[in-house]
Amino acid sequence: MLAFITRRLVTSVLIFFSATFVVYIMAANLGDPLADLRELPPQDREAAIADRTERMNLDKPVVARYFLWLGGVLTGDLGTNRVGQDVNLMLERALGATLQLVLAATVLSIVIGVGIGVISALRQYSALDLGVTFGVFVCFSLPVFWVATLLKQYGAIEFNDWLADPSLAWWVIGLIALFMGAVFSSLLVTDRRTRLMAFGVAAAVTAVLLAVLSATAWFADPGLGPIVIGLTAGAAAVGFATLFSGLEWNPTMKAAAICAALGLVSHFALLPFLDDPTWWFMGLLALLTVAICWAVGYFVGGELYRRSAVPVSILTGLFTAAVIFVDRMLQSFASFSESVRGRPISTIGASTPNYSGSFWDHGLDSFGSLILPTMALLLISLASYTRYSRASMLEVMNQDYVRTARAKGLPERTVILRHAFRNGLIPITTLVAFDIGTVLGGAVIIETVFGWRAMGDLLITGINERDPNPVMAFFLVAGTAIVVFNMIADIVYAYLDPRIRLS
Amino acid sequence: MVQPTPAAAPGQTPGTSDAAQGMNVKARTQTQLVIRRFLRHRGAIAGMALLFFVIALAVTSIGAGPIPGWWDKNHIGTADLVNGGRPTLGLWPGFLGGGGVHLGEHPFGQDNIGRDYFAVVMRGTQVSLVIAVIVGVVATAVGTVIGAVAGYFRGAAEATLMRATDLMITIPTLLFAAMVAVMWGNQNIVTLGLVLGAVTWTQTARLVRGEVLALREKEFVEAARSVGTSAARIIFKHLLPNVIGIIVVSVTLAISSAILLESALSFLGLGVQAPDTSLGKIINEYRTAMMTRPWLFYWPGAFIIATALSINFIGDGLRDAFDPRQNRVRA
Amino acid sequence: MSMNTPIDPSAALATSSAATDALAESAEEVHTAYTLADSKPPLDEEVLRVENLTVEFPTDEGSVKAVRGVSYTVRAREVLGIVGESGSGKSVSSMAVMGLLPRSARVRGRVLYRGQDLLAMRPKQQRSLRGRKIAMVFQDPMTSLNPVHTVGDQLAEAVLAHELVPRAKAMARAKEMLELVGIPQADRRLRAYPHEFSGGMRQRVVIAMAIINDPDVIIADEPTTALDVTVQAQILEKLLEVKDAVNAAVVMITHDLGVIAGMAHRTLVMYAGKPVEIGATDEVFYRPHMPYTAGLLGSIPSMEGDRTERLRPIVGTPPSLIHLPQGCPFTPRCPLATDECRENEPELLPVPGATGKAGDTPAPSGAGPIGEHRAACHHSDRLGAAEDATVFFRTEAELRAEREEGR
Repeated sequence: MLAFITRRLVTSVLIFFSATFVVYIMAANLGDPLADLRELPPQDREAAIADRTERMNLDKPVVARYFLWLGGVLTGDLGTNRVGQDVNLMLERALGATLQLVLAATVLSIVIGVGIGVISALRQYSALDLGVTFGVFVCFSLPVFWVATLLKQYGAIEFNDWLADPSLAWWVIGLIALFMGAVFSSLLVTDRRTRLMAFGVAAAVTAVLLAVLSATAWFADPGLGPIVIGLTAGAAAVGFATLFSGLEWNPTMKAAAICAALGLVSHFALLPFLDDPTWWFMGLLALLTVAICWAVGYFVGGELYRRSAVPVSILTGLFTAAVIFVDRMLQSFASFSESVRGRPISTIGASTPNYSGSFWDHGLDSFGSLILPTMALLLISLASYTRYSRASMLEVMNQDYVRTARAKGLPERTVILRHAFRNGLIPITTLVAFDIGTVLGGAVIIETVFGWRAMGDLLITGINERDPNPVMAFFLVAGTAIVVFNMIADIVYAYLDPRIRLS
Repeated sequence: MVQPTPAAAPGQTPGTSDAAQGMNVKARTQTQLVIRRFLRHRGAIAGMALLFFVIALAVTSIGAGPIPGWWDKNHIGTADLVNGGRPTLGLWPGFLGGGGVHLGEHPFGQDNIGRDYFAVVMRGTQVSLVIAVIVGVVATAVGTVIGAVAGYFRGAAEATLMRATDLMITIPTLLFAAMVAVMWGNQNIVTLGLVLGAVTWTQTARLVRGEVLALREKEFVEAARSVGTSAARIIFKHLLPNVIGIIVVSVTLAISSAILLESALSFLGLGVQAPDTSLGKIINEYRTAMMTRPWLFYWPGAFIIATALSINFIGDGLRDAFDPRQNRVRA
Repeated sequence: MSMNTPIDPSAALATSSAATDALAESAEEVHTAYTLADSKPPLDEEVLRVENLTVEFPTDEGSVKAVRGVSYTVRAREVLGIVGESGSGKSVSSMAVMGLLPRSARVRGRVLYRGQDLLAMRPKQQRSLRGRKIAMVFQDPMTSLNPVHTVGDQLAEAVLAHELVPRAKAMARAKEMLELVGIPQADRRLRAYPHEFSGGMRQRVVIAMAIINDPDVIIADEPTTALDVTVQAQILEKLLEVKDAVNAAVVMITHDLGVIAGMAHRTLVMYAGKPVEIGATDEVFYRPHMPYTAGLLGSIPSMEGDRTERLRPIVGTPPSLIHLPQGCPFTPRCPLATDECRENEPELLPVPGATGKAGDTPAPSGAGPIGEHRAACHHSDRLGAAEDATVFFRTEAELRAEREEGR
């Protein structure tokens, strides 16, 4: 196993270095990097050209320039761009925003995409499945820059305008309610009457909820409050426990309920400490949550239920913590919105320049600038994850071992989670490795639309100015990401599939 | 042991009609079966219809080469703004209380300097389609040959080609495509298509290689080898015809992703260069007009989506038709 | 794979040569160690009764009538063989008994486990019987175990699905079962993954999984079809052994008459979704009353007597289950077919001189007293009158072929 990974790592690194050579040679041959200088008035021209020739080593052959660059890279120096700016510095500024965007989009698209794909496979040929399948095809056919522009127009500009007077028209409420009704009813596999009832209930609840939120202008000053937090935590406890050990009052359910209750208590207890925390503090709290919930699961679960009680407790605890986090952040929304002159969703840049505020304000600021680009980027990979995991699940559900699992008398959720899902995930790991390159490309386009000065800018400017060093900086990051993701995919693959691990 | 082969069937009475006994087994060729299954795929048929409509509209309206167009305006000439440049297309039938179905003076509207936007979009569609088809064909051809060779040969040839493919995969497609487009592709649209095709073949290569790897162990290949058939002949006469399904599906998928790739590059200003235009380039030119003249943004986008969507559906239908049991999705 | 069962090279050769030879050999080999005669006799206690079971699958082309009224009963420690060609409905009917058919299937009839109707139960109730009281052994051991979980986990899981016991206890039971089915070093093997086992060993694991909860009925769906010939015999013996160990009834589904001959107390022959002959295995084999059974028997190469005689497989193919012909579905392939056969489908009726076991209650819908020999054929008397039904069938088939060639 270790040998397998080492061998893969060595090949990947070798291939990566050959790739830097190829990319450098191409980047250095994009065109004439002196073109703009040749337009200068004659008196400045000579000196400027000589200056840039020297800086870019244009008097040396391309291959020599590559090795000069490579030598620099190995000592941590990425060189300068054609006007002498330090590329290290440029990269440092660009990297954070792009990585945030790419990671957020990748993680979200894996979680959401696999989730939707699995559910739609389990409800094959239902309205939901057909809708998802069609949606996937549409997503495959959407130009990302077009969607990004659209999102910028409606998700940012018009949304910000709407926040000034946040009320929903009755037909919008109606449409959303109908949609929710349709989704919930097609999730069920029962007779027509129950489905109709589910449709009615889901639609009605959605409609009432939206109407109340709209009437109270909740969207301008949102928040959840202890009641909603309590209800959500309770629902999460029941949901996770049902998923792992069935809908019945057993020690697992009990442990989950205790964790949800503890969460609600800590919501009040922690209030004074959450005015302006740091990320370290939040991380510590998360660790503490895991530790406490683990203990609850371990002891309440007892010998018979430990295997389900521990993960259920931890999941419930973390979920409740996330809800409390969101609640606290929403409470800061009104003041944040005011501090950015009522335009909380950013249309330009990865963060508001020179903004200073509390932990929560900064959080909302990054959220406001990340949400739309992430949504646009999600669209690219969400579709492939959905389609892939749907196909993979369908294939696995037809396998003999799933039938064997059913023949043992296992409940359907165990058959799906332990037998089908685990196997269905195996081919998806390979997709992660393939997908990351596409996502990076998509990020470049989306950053252009949203005016981020990040990795995409580095690349596009570098190409337009025929300047290899910024292009190479982009490729170093992108190529490393691809190699690393391939590595992770290999490891996860081996972890999931003992046939690989043990050979 | 109790299952007689169909060859045993001649013993049966010709008089007792098979159909009457519910035993009608019509012999169908592979091709007939594929066509039958394809025609049953509703999405694919709808896709075919939509694609045909888009192509016919783009080719006949402003004409292409020797084909004269029926639309009286071109994508360069300007005219006075009619109704502020808003689209004059009407689709609301008169009997429903609308203004009737009509094209009007400028069905898709006009841009800020008064060009007929219908002609502009049609011109862009033509260019985008030409590039996409070239990319699709080149990528599939290169990918098929590389995949087949890498799959058929063992040793150095396979290793080299697979490492080359790995190398290509390490470089993000957009970066690679942008660089070749800037280096060679900005002269004309055909070269752009060729160079883009040269960097997007990796998916096809992987698919074909996987398939050939499985096929090369089959008896008929063994047989061909044992009678001294040359490697090239085995690959082209024996192996490739068996992966034709994958190749056909690859072409469609490569075309649909090429449409998106070209439009993205043109949007970034790295693809099609003036005086040529393409759907992506049009969107880039007019995207600042989103607030004031939204139609300038929607029309080209709609044509990109319509084309890509219809080709994707056709590809899905073809995949189902070639291998109905295969649940695999595009990689 | 360190645990490959030693394979006799000649047996391995036999599998790769003509399949019929190999299958016939397997029939011989069944009689080596633990035979039906050695195993404990059936009890009178009836554990499973299937009544008029029908299964239909809706498709685009029409409804596929996969099973068209199957009835049988099995008693504790009894082995019932169900034999038929692929597509005769034998597997589908057993999947229906297990409740493992896809949701789209339309199942009707009654499946009574100790008097409780499985088909009328709530899903949860049905699930609690599945794997605990009624267990199944599948055809292909290479695919019927989950590759990503250890054998021990998969065995223990079967226990934990029905009983609230600590994992360690379930594992101990798993180990016990592995030992029972003859897997050496069970302790170590519990932690191994299925791909580390050979085919025969995997099938033993599947059998261990089936009996781990001490079931009353074991349904074995072609348990030896995917295995090497030598291993086949071992697995069949093992099945007989575990049947006695847990006092279970066995429903053995196969297309291999050789397997049935050595394994089953009674045999049910299916054709086109319907039972066409049922009775004690010896009765069915030596006095077949349905031309299809006779034809099946005639298509196995005989090891005795005149070896120069040509094998005569049944001509034609089974009918489409969507558009079933009127009358007896075997008519197009039957040398005895008359106009009556083309018009009316014969019922499953006791053959002349049939004997049921005394004291058996007749089933309401055609199953008859247990052990009664029944056949569904308008011409069962003609077959019954023949000295050797197989030879009779063969001669008739040749005559008919000549008649048709002459035309």
